[in-house]
Amino acid sequence: MPMQLTQALQANFINMNIVSLKNLTLTYQSLDSELLALDDISFDVKKEEFVSIVGPSGCGKTTILSLISGLNKPTSGSIKIMDKTPNLKDSVCGYMFQKDNLLPWRTIEKNIFFGLEIKKNLNKERKDYALTLAEKYGLKEFLKKHPNELSGGMRQRVALIRTLALKPELLLLDEPFSALDYQTRLELSDHIYEIIKKEHKTAILVTHDIQEAISMSDKIIVLSARPAKIKAIHTLDFDANLTPFERRKTDKAKELFDTIWQEIQNEKDKI
Amino acid sequence: MKKIKFSKAHYDFLRVYNTKKIVVLVSQISILICLILAWELLTKYEIISSFFFSSPSQIVKTVGELWKSGELIYHSGITLSETLIGFAIATGVGFLVAFMLWYSDFLRRVSEPYLVVLNSLPKIALGPIIIIWFGAGSKAIIFMCILIVVIVTILNILNSFTNCDKQLIALAMSLGANKFQIFFKLVLPSSLKDIVSTLKVNVGLSWIGAIMGEYLVSRAGLGYLLIYGGQVFNLNLVMTATVVLCVLASFMYFAVALFEKIMKKHFN
Repeated sequence: MPMQLTQALQANFINMNIVSLKNLTLTYQSLDSELLALDDISFDVKKEEFVSIVGPSGCGKTTILSLISGLNKPTSGSIKIMDKTPNLKDSVCGYMFQKDNLLPWRTIEKNIFFGLEIKKNLNKERKDYALTLAEKYGLKEFLKKHPNELSGGMRQRVALIRTLALKPELLLLDEPFSALDYQTRLELSDHIYEIIKKEHKTAILVTHDIQEAISMSDKIIVLSARPAKIKAIHTLDFDANLTPFERRKTDKAKELFDTIWQEIQNEKDKI
Repeated sequence: MKKIKFSKAHYDFLRVYNTKKIVVLVSQISILICLILAWELLTKYEIISSFFFSSPSQIVKTVGELWKSGELIYHSGITLSETLIGFAIATGVGFLVAFMLWYSDFLRRVSEPYLVVLNSLPKIALGPIIIIWFGAGSKAIIFMCILIVVIVTILNILNSFTNCDKQLIALAMSLGANKFQIFFKLVLPSSLKDIVSTLKVNVGLSWIGAIMGEYLVSRAGLGYLLIYGGQVFNLNLVMTATVVLCVLASFMYFAVALFEKIMKKHFN
């Protein structure tokens, strides 16, 4: 019996929902209007799953991330991150923004330590961990440089290492590639995908780029135009060995692209 | 560092650059020399009246006399100390108030109309009130100096604080930063440049404040020498005080510029 129990627990852990959203709604208040931004959003994200959220622009994709991170509070419904309500103080989320937000007056090394510093967690062990990550992912020779000496792709990689240094359970990626040129974008999404898989992280990616979502995700959530509702959820079953770049070239990816494109196009017509 | 060998074109570029720099400097100095020379000659041959215009040689003589009698150090010292005290207090208070207004949205909104009115009020108009409150002495002059400097300092620094990149703040907030962390790790470092340029403006304003204060009340200081010299038609004294003022103000400006250079080096 105890044996079975342990197994059941383990199985439970593997299938554990890192994120669980139930009937989430959010209304923005302003002086002369009320705007329903999110309407009855429910979905789960399992451990080590990579989930993308796509939808027409301005539909509230980023809002969902800000709710999960705890930067914003929902009007109704519940959010559980590892069975707890999101809390900025001891957050398990690492938030990556569209802009790398590196501090120009700090060296790359000091930028990587920024999150640890804010969390008052800057001890030898954490520092070493952050530096190991930086070294592992090709930033070693840049540690003493300043952000303006690095390319856009490099800078975004620094931002990822800064986030990973906090050992977050869940990565929130808010269009982290959209400010980059196409070439860098493809390269960096391969890199970041590899890093996330190697470090066994769970991730939620918000993007307007359907191909990007297809190339990286295990699950894609399609949102409707505002107020955002869940329009469709696609579960992807690509060969786990394919890199995002290789995935893009498969027929399956092209088919899926057409389906999701159509779903979003229908929504745009409604506006 | 490895020494890099540059192409001939690069050395040509450097030569042109340096030549330009030297030409500018030489022009600046020769204009000064020409002005002084013309002034001296015109007054020497009484083409313009040396009584109304004084002359470089007389100014030098007056400086020598004032130096010997100890008055030069005495009067400059008084004005300089008033300026420095006014500058320091106003900058400090201005910075502190700006911080409080940045910290509390409520305070900022409440104080806004007061700051606007105080900023547009010509501070010299408060002269009589200041004399009655503080008496006719150094205290009144320093207060005048502070009044002139502090409001501008608050407005400039507050503006710089509130202009800090919102995205950076969102990042810090997503990491659970409190307001003090946001201030010291983001807002302050990103405002350093504006703070230094505020200091530069404040140097000029403090001199204005001190001299204006001395015009109103003093019995000593460079402002007093200017007023006194004007009243007794001693143009030598007026010109001398003006020249000394120029020299002191430029020294203070260069001190701030040096401070800026050090900061730049330190914070990249």
